[in-house]
Amino acid sequence: MSSVDETLAFDPSREQRIKLLKGAMPFEPLSDELLGKIADIATTERVAKGAVIYQVGDPAKDLFVIANGQVEHALGPGAEATVLVKVVGRGDVIGWAALLKDRSRRLAKTTALVDCQLLRISGDQLMDVLSEDPEVAQDVLSRWAKMIIEDFTVPRWLAQVKDAPGRGEDGGPQTTSHLSGAALFWYRFSKWLTSPRPYLMLIGFAAFFGSWFVLSEVIHFWRFDNLPGPREVLIEWFNPDPIYGLSIYTPEYYDHIWWSIRRILIAFAIATGLGVPVGLFLGWSKKFREYVFPIFETLRPIPVLAWVPLAIIMFLSVEGPVIFLATLASFYATALNTMLGVESIEESYPRAAACLGASKWQIFRHVVIPGALPYVFTGLQISVGVAWFSLVAAEMVSGQYGLGYVINNSYTNVRYPTIVIGMITLGVVGYISSALIRMLGDYMMQWRVRELALGGQ
Amino acid sequence: MNAVRSEGITPMNRQQQPAKEAKGAIKIEKVEKVYDPTGAAVQAVDRCSLDIGAGEICMIVGPSGCGKTTLLNAIAGFHSITDGAIYLDGDMLCGPGKPQAEPGPDRVVVFQNGALFPWKTNLENVAFGPIMQGTMSKAEANEKARDLMATAGLSGTENNYPGEISSGVRRRVEIVRALMNDPKVLLLDEPFRALDSLTKSVMHEALLDIYYKNKVTIFFITHDLEEAIFLGHRVVIMTTRPCKPKKMLEVDIPHPRDYSVLTSQRFRELMEETVEAVHEEAVKAFEAGEKEM
Repeated sequence: MSSVDETLAFDPSREQRIKLLKGAMPFEPLSDELLGKIADIATTERVAKGAVIYQVGDPAKDLFVIANGQVEHALGPGAEATVLVKVVGRGDVIGWAALLKDRSRRLAKTTALVDCQLLRISGDQLMDVLSEDPEVAQDVLSRWAKMIIEDFTVPRWLAQVKDAPGRGEDGGPQTTSHLSGAALFWYRFSKWLTSPRPYLMLIGFAAFFGSWFVLSEVIHFWRFDNLPGPREVLIEWFNPDPIYGLSIYTPEYYDHIWWSIRRILIAFAIATGLGVPVGLFLGWSKKFREYVFPIFETLRPIPVLAWVPLAIIMFLSVEGPVIFLATLASFYATALNTMLGVESIEESYPRAAACLGASKWQIFRHVVIPGALPYVFTGLQISVGVAWFSLVAAEMVSGQYGLGYVINNSYTNVRYPTIVIGMITLGVVGYISSALIRMLGDYMMQWRVRELALGGQ
Repeated sequence: MNAVRSEGITPMNRQQQPAKEAKGAIKIEKVEKVYDPTGAAVQAVDRCSLDIGAGEICMIVGPSGCGKTTLLNAIAGFHSITDGAIYLDGDMLCGPGKPQAEPGPDRVVVFQNGALFPWKTNLENVAFGPIMQGTMSKAEANEKARDLMATAGLSGTENNYPGEISSGVRRRVEIVRALMNDPKVLLLDEPFRALDSLTKSVMHEALLDIYYKNKVTIFFITHDLEEAIFLGHRVVIMTTRPCKPKKMLEVDIPHPRDYSVLTSQRFRELMEETVEAVHEEAVKAFEAGEKEM
């Protein structure tokens, strides 16, 4: 809570208050009459040096005009600005969160640096006074919004000031606290950057590579002696003239990556294109399920590697078997999860849709598909993982390009650092692919992102 | 006062009916429902007959698992019935030769746990019905949805998703979504069960407010006797399974009502009159150890 220590009233005359208000940027366009009314609703108070005027997260009811003294204004998490902490003084206005729409919490912490004198104005009362002259109010509020956006690069939805009085009834488009698509992504990303999480991640990586380095290259611990160490791998990886023939400077490196990615793209596209519809129908139609599910459940436990001989017999090319194997594994994951997604939909949703007059197909389109979507995307993430898994297995068996081929070929040719280069590259590419799917999922399921965000996740 | 009555609404209540002709009289005639999940037949509803007048708020009170929801599901068309018939304004919904009614926008259900589609914004949810039925273009439906939401005090929540608003507001959006279709009957299945008692009292007044503006027939299932007497023209107390009316109570407190009713003498008398009957059935249900269905 705001702990204004000593609220000994100092007592400027009404004229002095009006003059002070007039000097505050957002109030400039107001007539003396309105300024007088604001001066009347303002109360005065004195804050001792070092006292916290309000804290981040406090309920925001009032705003303050500084009459005398200096106040440190430190923005809290979630709000960004070029200058996070700044000192404000006479004529400056703080506490504008009291005027924000849908946001009645303080965004910053303010501390009196010296003994200060403040005018306290209730946000609601101020809105009431402003409502007497809608046109001027409009001007004042847009000045507020401008000031907020200029001083603090807060996300736009935060900077939306309460609807100006006299507006809103004319059926104009409603402004709402709405962050969509890319804006939401950047907001969340900037929050992530300011949290401790990226640094914890870096520490984790450092610990992993550090112990690898110490075990294999410094103390040559037991069997780690045979393992290529991170230093050796890095030198080879970033070597313009690699000893074993593969580094970021050789075009073959990118060829191999591209071949693997290409196969994954094709396999993933086929698996998704087949798996999602099959899963949807398995979940939706009991009859279809009776036909298909037993076969599905019999084939699913067969490991992908067991399909290798048949795949080679069936597809006489090099690409065919590899893509087939990757497709097969990810198809199962996608179809099964999609089916579970349909089953997870609460019975009341299709019933409600039927009540509202939706036909069977409309229910499928508007309830079954979106309702299953969270599971579908879980399935797709698993599916891209198993696609990489089976791809590498297949590339090791047959194939002349690709990261799996690189790893296997380097092993037979005793190029140990190159094995590790291939492995790390796989890790990075695999991580990126599932991150892309997660992002696509978040983009397509804004409702879910927002729901989870409210749950503090 | 609390005599069993067969048709329509009492004269006292009729004077508060809207000028326009009210629709949505439901006639439930000797409805029976037998489940057979385990080989042993379970009779959920037993020759249940009930007449609900057009524009009446009929509160159904009964112990958990007594088969009230089965009855509601039969009217809505989610379940079949094994015998009897249900009519809406004289047209048979289900009955001989047609065991299950078609769900449709003339009888919209508001569900116990809420069934707003979480992947649609509140506005899209409210506008859903007419767009699906093809009775309005998307623009028309959105416009009507906005208007209706405004009259229910829901302006400003149009572009939020249901997951972003409080459960009380969600319930209100759901009722508005039902009203978008100009239904004859609203079927409410303990819609306020999950709400805290303060939110509940706000919702009661909101529902009455919506009712005074829209006069639809309301079939309202509840456990809460206070809620039943406060809202209803009539309270029907059901026996424990198999479900049929045990006692009917005319609530002769004039509409429009507000919360002062709760402390009135008449309200307390009505509570006294019914509380014993409800308690008796609750004890029976408890002893039978019936699972909720």
